[in-house]
Amino acid sequence: MAEAIQKKLKAEVEKYAQTQKDVSKSVSARQKLETQMAENNIVKEELDLLDSSNTVFKLIGPVLVKQDLDEAKATVAKRLEYINGEIQRYETLLKDYHKKSEQQREVLTSLQQDLQKAQGLTPGK
Amino acid sequence: MAEKGNTNKEHLGGVVRLREEHQKVVKDCESRIQHWKKVLADYEALDDRLRTLPDQLCYDIMVPFGPLAFMPGQLVHTNEVTVLLGDNWFAKCSTKQAQKIVEHRMKHVGNQLDDVTKTMKNFEARVGFAKDLESMSANTGNYVDIKEEAGNNDSPITKGKQRIAHKPNSKPKMDVVFDLKEEDEEDEGESRDTGSRKGIMTEEELWARLDELERLEELQDEQDRLSDNADMNGEDTSSSSSEEEKEADAAPPVNGSSLKPSWSSVPHSIQPLTDRKEEDYEEEDGSCLPTIFFSHTVEPKKVRINTGKNTTLKFSERKEQKEHSKRKKKNGHSNGHSHHELHKITTPADIYRLFVDVKNGEPIPRKSILKSRSRENSVCSDTSESSAADFEERRMTGRSFSHDEMTHSDTSDGITEEDSPTAMPLQTPSRFEVSTVVEKDPMPTAVPHLTIVPPALPTILERKQEEVAPDVPPPEQAPKREHICSAFTYYKQDD
Repeated sequence: MAEAIQKKLKAEVEKYAQTQKDVSKSVSARQKLETQMAENNIVKEELDLLDSSNTVFKLIGPVLVKQDLDEAKATVAKRLEYINGEIQRYETLLKDYHKKSEQQREVLTSLQQDLQKAQGLTPGK
Repeated sequence: MAEKGNTNKEHLGGVVRLREEHQKVVKDCESRIQHWKKVLADYEALDDRLRTLPDQLCYDIMVPFGPLAFMPGQLVHTNEVTVLLGDNWFAKCSTKQAQKIVEHRMKHVGNQLDDVTKTMKNFEARVGFAKDLESMSANTGNYVDIKEEAGNNDSPITKGKQRIAHKPNSKPKMDVVFDLKEEDEEDEGESRDTGSRKGIMTEEELWARLDELERLEELQDEQDRLSDNADMNGEDTSSSSSEEEKEADAAPPVNGSSLKPSWSSVPHSIQPLTDRKEEDYEEEDGSCLPTIFFSHTVEPKKVRINTGKNTTLKFSERKEQKEHSKRKKKNGHSNGHSHHELHKITTPADIYRLFVDVKNGEPIPRKSILKSRSRENSVCSDTSESSAADFEERRMTGRSFSHDEMTHSDTSDGITEEDSPTAMPLQTPSRFEVSTVVEKDPMPTAVPHLTIVPPALPTILERKQEEVAPDVPPPEQAPKREHICSAFTYYKQDD
């Protein structure tokens, strides 16, 4: 009886560890996106400071490719939107993982209680 | 005791860890601040370089060739710089435009620096708090626990009885009367019976409460009289004090939490305080912290009144109306007793009574207590009483309504502590006194304001009214309190 509970407990613990990893992954991804968002905001503002007399380049691999200022602005704006969308997605993911981990925690505690009861019985025998 | 010690140790361990974590955050913030400061310095150097670069058309420099070699060369097109905007975007700009970009970036860096400093300060504060907590739980440092026991239902000052929650199935009190008649009917169910029983009980409670309140009032009056006696070396202290002790024993819980102080009970309450305090200090080893048990007792408010003859009175509140009736019959009493009662102040009218001039062996009340005796002989101001009387009477009629409105609009809360019950007719003339004094003589108002109990000073007219309506029954005191204190506020605004 106690052994069965122990096995169950182990399985639940593994699941819980997995969920925790997912949580941390999504958190770090979200942080990266945050920094990218900040950077693109600065780029956007600095592009606004320039006028059409300056040539804008984009580094693609080892090549600097000439770009139009307006095109560059549009591209940067689109990138910003994309980044925001990604952040939203990761936030929902994070919430789900949190809920999962809560549920698993509860299951774990109940299993632990059962185990203690079972172990309490067996030494008594 | 051992268990307590263990919990203390655990608690201590937790607090220590909290403090360490906070300190880690603080260190992290410090390193981040260093980083941002370096970045800022770099940008400033860049700004300098950009400013000086276009001074010459070309510069002779040593161009680095790989990691180990240099070659002499020239720096041309000094005004053109390619700026990395971020995210693999570049822009060719003049140095001036580049400078603008650099400025913009420096602003951003400054913001980051501010945020980090704020967080650091925040966490430093938390560290300090955790340190204090640590020292508290380790019983080091000068921390003392102060506990005050809140007396919930002991306070008699609450107006009206407390609300009683009805049982879920019972009908409200409205049905009580009806139910008493229908006591025989049982098909209504038990709920109504419980309601009726409850109704009867609440009535009994009401009566009990009224009795208790009456008793408390008497107790207060006795104690105030006793306090006056103590101040003035009056007579009949023994009887009143014995009465008071009886009542004090009867209502000990009053003293702990009542707002109205009791003079003889103050020593009672102080004693338990000191006793407990001593006990606590002896037990310091066992308990967490030395505790001081604090109970809320307020000293009787004493106000010094300058009666104009370089004498001062101590005025304490909550006198009974018997005072007035006794005064009327004062001729029959002995000198000492009436004198004592003269100085016993229940209402603002009583204050006025103190300012008496003795003429032909009879004390004649002064018209205005703000004017001292000495000034009557002075030539400069018009301090004659007859003119004062006429002046005041003329004013009273004119001002009656305006003052009434003032006080009604001005009823303030939280008054109960400092009020004294007084009759309704006393209110209106009292305010006139204030106004007359203000208009006649601006100087004295400044001085008397400090020494004299504020507004409610009755005039001659009021004294007549006072005789007409002598014994204002105590229940009227409650609503009048508000008026007195609104008069207080009015007077203060006047200044």
